[in-house]
Amino acid sequence: MSAIPSLHDAFDGARPALPNSLLEDLPLPALRILTCGSVDDGKSTLIGRLLWDATDLADDVRASLVGGGNADGTAVPDFSRLLDGLVAEREQGITIDVAWRYFDTPTRRIVVIDSPGHEQYTRNMASGASHADVAILLVDARHGVKTQTRRHAAILDLMGVKRVILAVNKMDLVGYRESVFREIERQFQPLTRHFGFLEHTAIPLAAVTGENVTRGSAAMPWYGGPTLIECLEAAPGRAADQSAPLRFPVQRVLRDGRDLRGLGGTVAAGEVSVGDSVVDVASGREARVARIVTFDGDLKTARTGQAVVIALDRDLDIARGNVLASPMRAPVSAIEIEARLVWLSDDPFDPRGGYLLRTTTDIATISRLEITAELDLATFASQPASTASSNDIVSASIVLGRAVACEPFTEAPVTGSFLVVDAITGTTVAAGTVAEASAKSRRSGTAGRGPEFRLDRSVLARGLCRDIDDTFEGRAEFARRVEEVALLLKAAGIDAVRDGN
Amino acid sequence: MTRPLTHLDLLEAESIHIFREAAAQFAKPVLLYSIGKDSTVLLHLARKAFYPERPPFPLLHVDTTWKFRDMITFRDAAARDLGLPLIVHTNQDGVARGISPIEHAPSVYTDVMKTAALKQALDLHGFDAAFGGARRDEEASRAKERVFSFRSPGHRWDPRRQRPEVWSLLNGRLDAGETARIFPLSNWTERDVWRYILRERLDIVPLYFAAERPTIRRDGQLIVVDDDRMTLRPGEQIEHRMVRFRTLGCWPLTAAMESTAATIDDVVRETLSSRTSERQGRLIDHDQSGAMERKKQEGYF
Repeated sequence: MSAIPSLHDAFDGARPALPNSLLEDLPLPALRILTCGSVDDGKSTLIGRLLWDATDLADDVRASLVGGGNADGTAVPDFSRLLDGLVAEREQGITIDVAWRYFDTPTRRIVVIDSPGHEQYTRNMASGASHADVAILLVDARHGVKTQTRRHAAILDLMGVKRVILAVNKMDLVGYRESVFREIERQFQPLTRHFGFLEHTAIPLAAVTGENVTRGSAAMPWYGGPTLIECLEAAPGRAADQSAPLRFPVQRVLRDGRDLRGLGGTVAAGEVSVGDSVVDVASGREARVARIVTFDGDLKTARTGQAVVIALDRDLDIARGNVLASPMRAPVSAIEIEARLVWLSDDPFDPRGGYLLRTTTDIATISRLEITAELDLATFASQPASTASSNDIVSASIVLGRAVACEPFTEAPVTGSFLVVDAITGTTVAAGTVAEASAKSRRSGTAGRGPEFRLDRSVLARGLCRDIDDTFEGRAEFARRVEEVALLLKAAGIDAVRDGN
Repeated sequence: MTRPLTHLDLLEAESIHIFREAAAQFAKPVLLYSIGKDSTVLLHLARKAFYPERPPFPLLHVDTTWKFRDMITFRDAAARDLGLPLIVHTNQDGVARGISPIEHAPSVYTDVMKTAALKQALDLHGFDAAFGGARRDEEASRAKERVFSFRSPGHRWDPRRQRPEVWSLLNGRLDAGETARIFPLSNWTERDVWRYILRERLDIVPLYFAAERPTIRRDGQLIVVDDDRMTLRPGEQIEHRMVRFRTLGCWPLTAAMESTAATIDDVVRETLSSRTSERQGRLIDHDQSGAMERKKQEGYF
């Protein structure tokens, strides 16, 4: 009988080498991974094994997985306990939407986004997926691609996950047979074709033994592809594509008290350099970038992901909510949107409710929100629908109270995504992706379905807004109040018509 | 060609984005400044976020009257150097009742001198959002915390009613009576905080560096005696040891560690090669199981 490995051996065999200097930054951007699959597929075990073998898991955490519960006297850690705290909370009836765990390999931060995978948790998985760079789609080798796998693939696609790893787990339970793996790979092909995932890899593995997780497998010599960890370490993180057209949503105007009127924001896509022409989507006017200002000094170029302050060579009257874009390919200043929504709220869609549309830095009244179809996640078929409740994925037509910069989600996720917000409680009721954005209302006479009220600027200026002066900030506050009034009217069933805008 | 953006570059940018969003969406924000390393990073990021302007909010320190003297000195200097208004709030009712970390259980002390004090201060000034330096890697109930975390009237945290956060869209619209906690360091780990302090050459409280300090050993932990309010138990005696702190809080509740790391490089190296997790030095978290979750529900940060 072989000796039982001690806890100490288990540590030293597993721990990867730390970087030469603990003081150094990690060279690669973090990788956010989402694991999809139910507990039965071995999700906890797979993640546990990955973290145990490849990351810097603390000793007190390691000890807690080995100690105690191993009645058979072996020192094989119970990996599933790593994510156990969450299971316990679930049993207490607390819905955990997304839990975040952080681990380091020698080269990069691995962020594990843990979200429940059951059918009734579609909204939670969708929230989790929206943050993921890579999804690990787990299937049990004994059962192959199931309805749940299809549902998960559909949610990943909807939320914009482009890289998917199909982890065919429990290969040890099917005798490591290549034919089993190839058949599952074949079942998965229609899904990748349907969704057009940018990258997809299938890996045969056994989470319990660690085969093809962090090391190769002698039992599967027929597999020549990468292990799971190799796949993850090679995956590009966020903000990899600098060649995308510029998207710079303005968060705030920042001044230095002299001549600088800077636009604070994050470069959400593409890059921008001093001298570049940019267009303000709302007005369609162009200017050149005069300076890119940061606390640490001016930059010549700001790249995707960087938070900076941009100064233009002339004043375009730009404020929070505006988007600067590449003039070659810019978003639309849209008044009507065709969209996909994931309904997140416990309260179902209320046709008479007051809703707002929040984009990355803008918020506008929704004049009309109409649910048109519901997506069946198992068959990918749409059927007509007019309501939406928690966990539903629906198509919707949205008419806005005023124009908002946006574009199809497939063009640019940051300007193609939005939240639907309950105007009264402020809560987020749905997450949306833009399918089509149009600058003009295509439906004539959409107003007139009910009572209508004209918000006259001169009346407002004499009354509600009489404390506001005619400065830039004043005009912004004026517009904000008009929107709030329109909202209240809308909630009372009255369509507000704004003049002069 | 400029160097590629590193992990810390992207974390910094994300935090700046969060600061700017919160400042734009809330009417009267405040930064909860607790003087430790995380607050130091938080404050530095706030400066970067609003440059060339000053951060558009004051600092709030909830003073339990049991902070290390070095912390108070550091706090006052930090606020003065940045030219930011500093509000110091103490629960006077708790002081009058003589609530202390020595006489009372950590849970009672925390409830009165920290949680109740924080709620008083936020209500008194009408702040609708408070920035804090909490990180998701600190503790299990923090792991599911949002970047914008909402509190119902009375500042209660209900984990079941938190708003989903999708993509990088942050929704700060409040319901009547609601307030928010904002966590710009959500995605940072202890390791990131230390490396960032090193990279940005930030000043931190001297207690993080090893020095000879008067200590006693109590319940298996090393406690630094910061003033004359602690009564020694039979058998206890004050001994001078080379110690430093990995986290800072109220001195009777914060365990020191023996160390000779006296430079920032040594401190970071020693901390980051440690193979145990950070909160072991915080006595209040061990008071009862699920302690943090309970404290948060009652309004603790």
